[in-house]
Amino acid sequence: MESGIIEKNIFKELVQKGGKHMANEYSEYDYVAAGTIDVSELPPLDTETEKIMKDEFSTGFKLSLFYYAFIFAIPILNWFAPDFMFSRMWGGMTYAWFSTGIIAMAMAFIIAYVHTALYEKRIQKYQNNSSPLDKSEGRNIG
Amino acid sequence: MMQSLLEPKMIMTIILMGTIVYITYLTKRSATASDYFVGGRSFGWFTNGSAIGGDYLSAATFLGIAGLTFQLGYDGAYYAFCFSIGLTLLAIFVAGPLRRFGAYTVADFLAYRFHSKRARLAAVAVVLAISGFYAAPQLLGAAQILSMFFGTSYEFGIIFTCTVMIFYVGIGGMKGTTLNQALELWIRLGAFILMVAAAIYGGLHYEKILAAISEFKGSIGGTAQYATDAKDVEFDGTSWTGTGNYFPTFWQTVSMTIGLSLGTIGLPHILLRFYTNPSAKAARKSALMAIAIASVFFFFAVYLGAVGRSIFLSGAAEPQVMKDLVSGGNNMVVPSTAQALGGEWLLGLVIAGAFAAIFSNLSGLFIASSGALAHDLYATFVRKNNISERERVIAGKVSIVILGILYGILGLMVKTASIGHLVALAFTVAASTFTPIFILGIWWRGMTEKGAIAGLIIGLVVSMYMIFFSSTLPEFLQFKIPGLITVPIGFLSVYIVSKLDRKVPADVNDFMRKVHSKESEAA
Repeated sequence: MESGIIEKNIFKELVQKGGKHMANEYSEYDYVAAGTIDVSELPPLDTETEKIMKDEFSTGFKLSLFYYAFIFAIPILNWFAPDFMFSRMWGGMTYAWFSTGIIAMAMAFIIAYVHTALYEKRIQKYQNNSSPLDKSEGRNIG
Repeated sequence: MMQSLLEPKMIMTIILMGTIVYITYLTKRSATASDYFVGGRSFGWFTNGSAIGGDYLSAATFLGIAGLTFQLGYDGAYYAFCFSIGLTLLAIFVAGPLRRFGAYTVADFLAYRFHSKRARLAAVAVVLAISGFYAAPQLLGAAQILSMFFGTSYEFGIIFTCTVMIFYVGIGGMKGTTLNQALELWIRLGAFILMVAAAIYGGLHYEKILAAISEFKGSIGGTAQYATDAKDVEFDGTSWTGTGNYFPTFWQTVSMTIGLSLGTIGLPHILLRFYTNPSAKAARKSALMAIAIASVFFFFAVYLGAVGRSIFLSGAAEPQVMKDLVSGGNNMVVPSTAQALGGEWLLGLVIAGAFAAIFSNLSGLFIASSGALAHDLYATFVRKNNISERERVIAGKVSIVILGILYGILGLMVKTASIGHLVALAFTVAASTFTPIFILGIWWRGMTEKGAIAGLIIGLVVSMYMIFFSSTLPEFLQFKIPGLITVPIGFLSVYIVSKLDRKVPADVNDFMRKVHSKESEAA
């Protein structure tokens, strides 16, 4: 209980100093009276965070789009081109079974692997071009 | 008595239990809340990736996917395909930012994003709903397996499983749970690898068995003596290898694809696992590891379902196997196939694997719900955050006992329910509530507190209504898994209410900098 009170006091002090709280582990500062503003008055994000978000979302969105095109191609073909999908490739293996039971499993990993590889490449690039905004100046909860 | 103790299934189960006790003993000291709720954020990608796999690949997956493939053929394989999608989407959009955010529970995310106790409370309600719907079928499965293989009553199975969980999670916390989950995953995967090897060694190659199955049409000899109507079981191979056996329309198939693929992103026990990594980079690698494991697992499960069907059609299996395949239901397909392929020892390993699957999944649900009760409700609302680390840990342990009792009661109530129905409910609720909240909360600054709460409540109510009261809806809205309707409603609720409200947290830019900053990437 004692440490809880101490943390709370430290927190209050930090809030009084300007609302920034840096901690190494979670503590009770969820309910900072940060207030709300109209979305039209929201200042733009700093350029670096905006770029990171944009790059990250753009990559994820494109990969997801490709992935979902593959995912939905299977039921669409199954229902609208069944003669092709349920014809045999080799032995009793049909195109439908091959794409659903084998290729799709590999695809889940390939998409995630490509995403991780692209992300690591971007991180490497950011680290090579490090800027004064390297450190998050915002809320930090460990 | 001694003879039954020396049976392979008993030996394997005792070894599993002994290992759980040993790991739990080794990890029993949780000095801080971080140790207890997020394992001290100390697990690397391999351990955590295995634990995520262990959490995700539940008994419904271990026994159910092969069983569904055995029963439904291609439509069963399609089920596995839908389950395989979710982790990849989670890795792309949520894993890294969620770890950078840190904290202990899923509700922390909303509380911190909006500085809102109301948002925390709404999130707690949804966490408990999803975890309850997910825990009930796991307990049902555990009681059924105990009953099938050890002859115990349904009630004993529920009480035994809850007691093991209280001990396992209550003492070990997230540290013990993670290590046990990782180990249990490899027991299951080991069982599947041995089964696949035995099948291939026995000449049951994929394309050959599919050809044999698809060409079969007629009655399966020797099955009449086990059937309730005393007639040989009829089978049509062409129908089995085609689609439409379970999902009768194209839109039913699409709805399931959306519900199951997006449901994973909103499962609290899976989301929680990303807090246990030391960095965002490790979180992404953990997800990649889990996806690799899950992909291999689903591939094996579908193949083994076809192997089971092939063995059944050939009529060459031992009488006990044939009897189990006729009368035992879908959950008996993996054990019966294991017995046919590798005898009693492989069967013993599969039974231990089934228990491992149940314990692994349930422990994740217990930890997620324990965080919601102890950290989100007790520490925040009852103690007003005036609570020490030690008291947080004690509250966590007490909440495990409470959950054990609550889940036990829930398990006793769903004795006659369908496992698949309950799991589908959990996925649909998750896809319609937390999935929109996390995706929009991480990527859209315009999301407001009211939008988030509206999304959670509307998503929860609509998805539960469409599952429990689907018969009251027009026929075109009656879906087995209503993701096609409920997921867009969840997203739209958050978006529309946020657009109308317009009041975003003043420090939302700081939040975005926190969850998207690169500073913790290389840690």
